[in-house]
Amino acid sequence: MPKLNIVSAINLALDREMGKNDKVVIIGEDVGREGGVFRVTDGLQEKYGPERVIDTPLSEGGITGTALGLAVGGMLPVAEIQFEGFMYLALDQIANQMARYRSRSRGQYPINLVLRLPWGGGIRAPEHHSDSPEAVLVNTPGITVVQPSNPYDAKGLMTAALRYGDPIIYCEPKRIYRAIKAEVPDEDYEVPIGKAAVAREGTDLTIVAWGAMMREAMKAAEELSADGASAEVIDLRTISPMDSDTIIDSVKKTGRLLVTHEAPRTGGIGAEIAVRVYGEAFTSLLAPIERVTGYDAVMPLFKLEDYYLPNAKKIIAGARKILRY
Amino acid sequence: MELTYIKAINNALRQAMRLDGDVVLLGEDIAALGGAFLATEGLLEEFGPERVIDTPISESLINGAAVGLAVAGMRPVAEMQFADFIACGFDELVNMASTLRYRHGGGAKCPMVVRCPSGSGVRGGLFHSQNPEAWFARVPGLKVVAPATAFDAKGLLIAAIQDDDPVIYFEHKFLYRRIKEEVPEDSYIVPIGKAALRRAGGDICFITYGSALYLCLAAAEELEKEGVSSEVLDLRTLLPLDRRAIIECAKKTGKVLIVHEDRVTGGLGGEVSAIIMENAFEYLDAPVMRVGAKDTPNAFAGPMEEYILPNKDKVLAAARKLAEY
Repeated sequence: MPKLNIVSAINLALDREMGKNDKVVIIGEDVGREGGVFRVTDGLQEKYGPERVIDTPLSEGGITGTALGLAVGGMLPVAEIQFEGFMYLALDQIANQMARYRSRSRGQYPINLVLRLPWGGGIRAPEHHSDSPEAVLVNTPGITVVQPSNPYDAKGLMTAALRYGDPIIYCEPKRIYRAIKAEVPDEDYEVPIGKAAVAREGTDLTIVAWGAMMREAMKAAEELSADGASAEVIDLRTISPMDSDTIIDSVKKTGRLLVTHEAPRTGGIGAEIAVRVYGEAFTSLLAPIERVTGYDAVMPLFKLEDYYLPNAKKIIAGARKILRY
Repeated sequence: MELTYIKAINNALRQAMRLDGDVVLLGEDIAALGGAFLATEGLLEEFGPERVIDTPISESLINGAAVGLAVAGMRPVAEMQFADFIACGFDELVNMASTLRYRHGGGAKCPMVVRCPSGSGVRGGLFHSQNPEAWFARVPGLKVVAPATAFDAKGLLIAAIQDDDPVIYFEHKFLYRRIKEEVPEDSYIVPIGKAALRRAGGDICFITYGSALYLCLAAAEELEKEGVSSEVLDLRTLLPLDRRAIIECAKKTGKVLIVHEDRVTGGLGGEVSAIIMENAFEYLDAPVMRVGAKDTPNAFAGPMEEYILPNKDKVLAAARKLAEY
């Protein structure tokens, strides 16, 4: 089995599906000749030609709207927006058009498309290139949002997304694009959309994370075990619709929950997860739910980035707080 | 004087413009027509076309021009014809207006207001019914307000115009002409960041804002007859939230029901619940509960809209469940 990083795993998923299904087309800024700003679509234009791997002008509204039109016309577009901060320029296309096509057409136009968004902070990029705006999408029914945390899931979630039958926003944790190499099967497989994964089993505390924060959560769980605390770690994988059942089952077992995300705390989806768990596992909880998040401030420039982002150390501090409660 | 909610908005704009020559209005059809809902009626006549400016149909242009005006020292008040279309001008608000102060190390400010006619219940269908406040109540650098009374509509708008930071002002269409109340003739402000206790009680507490306030007040009346005494807290400002008032009423009653017209998932109720459960965990006799719209786009057909939106019966059913918990 080849060892791949997240970038190559996504590339492989796209390559395999394009080979099988000639309705799959890729569009975005510099995705063709350049192979994408992060090289996720590297080599695909050479292999499938400029009619299937299409370089577009710098216009996120145009890219997303075109993808939607292609999907309505029966194609299966994979559109790339270079950084999540530019998703806002396409918000009308995403929230007012794409998300509602099935509902508006009473099911006559179920559209399949994937919008790829390199996501989150930690790569020393300037402002507008480091956000984590999951909360905007979670509040918007009609779109499904996924985010892998490792190469295996990256390929399996992309393959599943391309066969899903509804619009998918596929968030890519750019901080760990090349940080992890793992075995990725070459053969066809899917990681189910809508299912969280228990990445590590434990009994004293549940930690929920996704994307790049999974690595920090796993590190924290390791260190906590040296303290004698056994942490269960859940990788959300699908952000919307959220698999709250897996989290609730886990909390009923452990009695404690810590949610971590890069986005600012206020209005982040840590709150949505917390309120669901309080609602369904109220009597199992031994301590208040702890949120370990970014600060309620604009994502800072690189000098302050490490200070701003949550990390294993902050997760450990949060975990100790609720373990001692 | 007795004013409707929309006349109170008109009156606030008039007085703010009289007090400060830097206040200018811009938006689609706001001048000659006086706005789609006539919120700016008569202002062109008094202040002329240089201060009351009709723009093309382009929300990104309107918000972008407002940012430019604000940076250059003016105090623009932009109108989105319907809050739904703010998605077309989202980048200017979330990437530009909100970050200006921070990006310039405090050396720049962006005193602007975006007025957003929002909300359902007026047979507005899919594209003219949204409550997109959760998209903004998570953005550091913005302030978000949502008045429920004519008095607050005037006082919060004047406060927003005088504030040195960008304020998103959600005015509820359903309330425009349905509420009439005594409003002082003079200019006054309702402070941003302060909730208002609309009804005092001891058994359960409703936390709400916008038009949902009236559902809560009506439900509270009914509950009184059943021997349940309820408190009703009107948030008024959605960012920054009045944490003290929220925590206080949770501690006092031990049972909180959050009611908003926005969808439950990803709505502001999540953050309010999380604040309560983090700060009043040991005071709670039940999990915080939420009533909001169903997780779907709004519908045009009356019975469908009724099915999707919260109403008095739905609020009552949840309140009874909470009271009995």
